[in-house]
Amino acid sequence: MKAVGARLPRYDGVAHVTGRTQYVDDIRVRGMLWTKALRSPHHHAAITHFDASKAEALPGVRAVVTHEDVPKNVYGHLEALGIPADEPLLAVDEVRFKGQPIAAVAADDEDTAREAVELIEIEFDERPAFFDMRKAMDPEWPKIHQWGPVYPHYGPYNHRRVRKGDVDAAFEQADTIVEGVYRPQAIEHCPIEPQTALVIPEPSGRLTIHSCTQAMYFSMGVVAAHLEWPLNKLKFVGGTVGGGFGGKVDTASETISALLALKAKRPVKWRWTREEEFLASSTRAPWHMEIADAVTSDGWILGRRMLTLHDAGAYARFSPYGVTKHAFHHTGAYTIPNVHFDGFVVFTNRVPTTAMRGFGVTSVSFAVESHMNRVAQVLGMDPLQIRLKNANRIGDTTANRVVLKDPSTVQVVLAAADRVNYDLPAEYRSMTNEKRSGDLLPEHLVGQLAADDATTNGGGR
Amino acid sequence: MAKHKGRGIATIEYPTGMNQNGDPSQAWVKLKPDGRVDVFTGTVDHGQGSRTVHTQIAADTLGVPYDWITMDNTNTDSSAVCTGSFASRGTFIGGNAVRFAAEKARERILDIASKELEIAPSDLEIADGEVVAKGAPDRKIGIPEVAAAATWTYGELITGTGAALKPFSDVSDDDGSVEIEPHSAISYAACVADVEVDDETGEVRVERLIQVYDVGRAINPTLVEGQIEGGAMMGLGLGLLEQAYPYYPEPEHRGREFGAYLAPALEDLPQLDNVIIESPSEDGPFGAKAIGEMANNAQPPAIASAIYDAVGVWVTEMPATPERVLRALDAKQEPRRDGKRVIFDEELSVRTVSSNGGKGFLETDG
Repeated sequence: MKAVGARLPRYDGVAHVTGRTQYVDDIRVRGMLWTKALRSPHHHAAITHFDASKAEALPGVRAVVTHEDVPKNVYGHLEALGIPADEPLLAVDEVRFKGQPIAAVAADDEDTAREAVELIEIEFDERPAFFDMRKAMDPEWPKIHQWGPVYPHYGPYNHRRVRKGDVDAAFEQADTIVEGVYRPQAIEHCPIEPQTALVIPEPSGRLTIHSCTQAMYFSMGVVAAHLEWPLNKLKFVGGTVGGGFGGKVDTASETISALLALKAKRPVKWRWTREEEFLASSTRAPWHMEIADAVTSDGWILGRRMLTLHDAGAYARFSPYGVTKHAFHHTGAYTIPNVHFDGFVVFTNRVPTTAMRGFGVTSVSFAVESHMNRVAQVLGMDPLQIRLKNANRIGDTTANRVVLKDPSTVQVVLAAADRVNYDLPAEYRSMTNEKRSGDLLPEHLVGQLAADDATTNGGGR
Repeated sequence: MAKHKGRGIATIEYPTGMNQNGDPSQAWVKLKPDGRVDVFTGTVDHGQGSRTVHTQIAADTLGVPYDWITMDNTNTDSSAVCTGSFASRGTFIGGNAVRFAAEKARERILDIASKELEIAPSDLEIADGEVVAKGAPDRKIGIPEVAAAATWTYGELITGTGAALKPFSDVSDDDGSVEIEPHSAISYAACVADVEVDDETGEVRVERLIQVYDVGRAINPTLVEGQIEGGAMMGLGLGLLEQAYPYYPEPEHRGREFGAYLAPALEDLPQLDNVIIESPSEDGPFGAKAIGEMANNAQPPAIASAIYDAVGVWVTEMPATPERVLRALDAKQEPRRDGKRVIFDEELSVRTVSSNGGKGFLETDG
């Protein structure tokens, strides 16, 4: 074995630092048209009038597309996972966020395309917009989504649930209950390369799609679904991306560019401006998390109640998936035998939020770890000792009933302590991740221990 | 008015591979007539280094030098399915697909070499581009000669395909339990943040981050460090600087350009101490668990608790901008105590902010 473990240079490093990497926007082909989109100027409005005839008549304009040009306008990216579709590719009779695409123009150059967008006649009837997800269940909620204030399709529930153990008994038994609220903000993905696509209609009838997607086959599936085409009529070319961080799973530019290319019968490029990238592309979601922990005075966490609200923005996109992943990790790197978790996907009139590095878990790590430090402070305990005590150990069962076979909470905490010469008593310094026994197996943790022969393939069902 | 030092810690875990699984990656390998290798994957390298990592995995699985391998991940005509570069799945799932494909091609190499050497395949091994008889190192044939024999003598193409897929893991809507592990592996990390807080301006400077990651196996330690350090800067942005909506939940005053939206820059770079732990996974390629996304998760809470250590206030609305730090210092809010309950942040809760006491979000068990 030679290559694995070696500090080999990245294959694309030289091309990147010498400016020779070819991104989608570097590709120019003969007869290529340029794209601009008409986007909603309102957070929430009905579209009462639309007329693109002046735009279509402008010299240099080769195609204008609206929702009427999309074979399947409403397609959910996660329909395969049972998450129904709710978002139109191009708005039909209403808009639900500022920046929502309504129509797109392909023209000989970007200035002409921009001028054409301004010539589209459109009128709106503004509606009340909604932004504070904590008020989503208030009687005054202004109807903004056909499904209601929250995503309603977690089986029979309108929220993702985790239930394990007897949480009421844990709170009864606790010496102290520590409650806190954690609210991480939305942030931008900020790729250096904005969303860009180049679609070339081939003489064979196929479309070649140069894409900055993070997920070629996934994005090809999205385009094929909207066009109602088989996969053999599409070729995605990609694999070189100027930063994604989750935002380039959205397939935000490929489908509309393909529709324009088909209508104009010409190659079409759409490159978003930096302003569009900031204002109309999706963000990381804002979250609202409330944690209450039932703890003993010597630092055991007996139980946790948690309420999570996830700001999905105007449409569901990947949010129901993100909240499920979040739910699975709401006890962090620790073993808490009694839990009660409810997570809601809440609709607001902001740009739909999407995946971003750490999707679903970055938020819960912030909440759980901030809370852990607060619990330590309230109890007057050392923050490392409380972590080492409650750390995941072999044979522990997670909130979603996975039996852990190689957790390393203990190893990483001790390695960090080592690196900063942290003062820890010997009994903590000698801890390992081995199966609980003795002082590390207090009565409240006995029941959650997996049998010796249990596999990791879930245990609690 | 003074500057105060503080230290905070966070410990995190992260599931690699797509949550609930069901996300295939596939790869295929073919040998040129001179033994050089073409590998085809659909995995997008968006900076994380998957293409380099996959090439390393292919090289060692086949037993050929790294520079014999050409990796093509450029298009969907020549490459098979990869659902995508998300969910920290490139090294584990994409890497396994490459490994499985290379193992199949390796078997074909041994079959052809067996005919040429007249030694059973099970008595052969591959190292450094040569097929060698176990226990008789002078009886060997180079892979270039094996590939040539396949092409010109036997009329065969040495190839291999591989697919990595963990089946979809259903989740109970009633209690959140799963039937099978909903992840590929769980990686763990700890982060210690040393900060300096200016109690006059509210500015927080992260001076040092000590970060420990258990990645199972570092296929390429330089690229793992790249993830740790790049992730550290993203985590610093999350914890201190970045916000799409400066007055969230209100939607106005969004930054529409760099400069109006504050992402971390080199001047924010703290001292970084990286520690890589290798506690191998059973199923990952060469024991890898992966790192990927988790690299920006531990810094924000470590920074928040370092701020508390420095100036005695909790900033729980992230990021800890100067404005939020100063407001927290002004308020110096103590938790409310009610019997054994210690209640922080009551003014932020659903119960307080909604007009109906949080009805609909609370008491979901009816």
